[in-house]
Amino acid sequence: MAGLPRRIIKETQRLMAEPVQGISAVPDESNSRYFHVVVSGPADSPYEGGVFNLELFLPEEYPMSAPKVRFMTKIYHPNIDRLGRICLDILKDKWSPALQIRTVLLSIQALLSAPNPDDPLANDVAEQWKINEMQAIHTAKQWTKEFAMGPGQ
Amino acid sequence: MGACICKNKANQCHADGHAHGASSNSQSRTGRAEAQTIPHVNRSHQPSGQGHRRVTGSSSSRRESQRNVDSLVLETLSLIRTLVDNEQEPPQAMVQLQKVAEKETGWLEVVRSLILSIPLDNPLGPAVITLLLDECPLPTKEAISELHRNLGLSCRGPCDEYKSVCCQRNICVMVGCLAEKLAGPNSVSLLSKELLGYLVHNLDKSCAEVVVLHSIVALEKFSQTSENKVTINKSLQSKEPNPLVVLEEWWKDPSQLRWEVGFCARWCLDNLFLAEGRTYSYENEDLSAINVMLNSNDVSEYLKISADGLEARCDASSFESVRCTFQVDRGVWYYEVTIITAGVMQIGWATKNSHFLNHEGYGIGDDEFSLAYDGCRQLIWYHAESKPHLHPCWKPGDTLGLLLDLDKQQLVFSLNGDCLPPFHQLFTYTRSGFFAAASFMSYQQCAFNFGSKPFKFPPKDVEFKSFNDHGNLTAEEKIILPRYKKLDFIKNILVKEDSCTLCFDNPANIVLLPCQHMGFCQKCALQLETCPICRKHIKERKQVPVDLECSNLEDEAPS
Repeated sequence: MAGLPRRIIKETQRLMAEPVQGISAVPDESNSRYFHVVVSGPADSPYEGGVFNLELFLPEEYPMSAPKVRFMTKIYHPNIDRLGRICLDILKDKWSPALQIRTVLLSIQALLSAPNPDDPLANDVAEQWKINEMQAIHTAKQWTKEFAMGPGQ
Repeated sequence: MGACICKNKANQCHADGHAHGASSNSQSRTGRAEAQTIPHVNRSHQPSGQGHRRVTGSSSSRRESQRNVDSLVLETLSLIRTLVDNEQEPPQAMVQLQKVAEKETGWLEVVRSLILSIPLDNPLGPAVITLLLDECPLPTKEAISELHRNLGLSCRGPCDEYKSVCCQRNICVMVGCLAEKLAGPNSVSLLSKELLGYLVHNLDKSCAEVVVLHSIVALEKFSQTSENKVTINKSLQSKEPNPLVVLEEWWKDPSQLRWEVGFCARWCLDNLFLAEGRTYSYENEDLSAINVMLNSNDVSEYLKISADGLEARCDASSFESVRCTFQVDRGVWYYEVTIITAGVMQIGWATKNSHFLNHEGYGIGDDEFSLAYDGCRQLIWYHAESKPHLHPCWKPGDTLGLLLDLDKQQLVFSLNGDCLPPFHQLFTYTRSGFFAAASFMSYQQCAFNFGSKPFKFPPKDVEFKSFNDHGNLTAEEKIILPRYKKLDFIKNILVKEDSCTLCFDNPANIVLLPCQHMGFCQKCALQLETCPICRKHIKERKQVPVDLECSNLEDEAPS
């Protein structure tokens, strides 16, 4: 396994041995730098009951540069755009190599609990969130129902 | 350089008329008059169907907007060849398509247009379908069910409108891309009984080869969702004989399309859809005469390598790269590549300093440590800049010859024996440490000959050596394991507990000053400017005896 850095091996081992509650990250069978991620919507958030699929990819420079994470499931959130890209400081300038896959995913789950319309990625959503938060939360709940509660969930 | 479009850029039109060959392609297969007129400038900036002349009746305005989408799709196809620079803005046509696709009806129009207007004979066609779908928003559940209705799929194929081989190829490419983008429940609901039945039914030697090929690739992409994988596996195993086992016989068929089908069927059987009683390819391959291969440990993550280590293929949307196992430092060296698909590949030479940035679209020829030949766009790549060359476009079956003369410090490329004038730029920064290397855009494939077989067009006027005569691999090094078997290995690798908390490769023997945080090796510490734990600026990296080390990452305590 000269191809895969020990750091990634170590994290993978641990993710498989001690999963985090509400989060699953499974390495792709054909690509050990690519993880299929499922995050449950946090309780008391508009995303409660939803199951969100994300993809997480560890670039060549990892852990010196941040993992690339993207929502695959459509989500109505001021810090996530329609392509699923996430506006989160630790994925950008606040990345530290001491952070890991599990800490990144926990942060994303926390972002679902605490949307931050002042640092938007999806401008229209953020605007809605500021103008009429009730309505925005309503839409977020509807989207969750529509896109994140698939058959069998 | 792969056609990777930076999404954050402002929009600007780059129609510079350099789209050789593309307009003639766009006419032929679709046979519709509007496909021939590809406007290049001053198109209305409104999304389709809104800013246009009011036409009486909604169905004719609907047709009008569909025509508009068709021409945008064809324009993107014609411009994609000219997108040679990652800093370049995406073409206006593409930006407009993105806007159209934001609405559900618009998204369906774009998809319809991709199916009907992408011609069969343009080698970039499938790659453009991938690229455009990648730029569009994800479809809603409603859009997916509407799409199913529109396709009208059954075992007998799609509805009459989409019966042509070209449309069917495009449908398979399109659903494959969607499968790759959607995950979990949405991917499961996309793979309806009808679609699965259709794709599996296509796995038959009597179907058009190109439809068979893209059906296999689509099934492979669907299987990224484990529920789909189980369903597909069941469906394949219920057939006697397993259709993939039959198709696998086509590997190395003189028809390149069949060869592609055979390669993909084989790869799926080794990696995804294991068939009962079938042994892995790597167990059957006679590798005794092969001393140099593509390096399965020096490759970007989505490239598929054959069990004999001499063939590679990319079906992902990224720009995948690989180096060979053998390094050359002096002398004159030659290898050949058989072109199996005519799309964008950058084949040439690279040192280990050349990085594979597959997701950014950078590969061989895109830095100062590599130089590559691109026979589709007819370019030579060095330092992410390209210059046109005088060879015609390559075709499946062509032989690319690559000569590296380290004594004279020059590179010579030949296509079917016809040589280009030598190139020297690669030696500006590097004089040694070269490997054969290549990058692949979506759906591209080629086969390498490092000298284990006779060369077709050996250079005549120069003494050269072949890698295979000088390379050496142990029997173990020659094994290219199916990837999921590699995963099994991961669980069993032991990591020392006193190792660096960042790389786990070296002992943690450095303390950072002034913050005094520990748990890092020298190599990692040198790459840091601020402490990973407290973000304090690092003034000094001090070596400490390893046995005094204690881990600072509470999270990385022995488990």
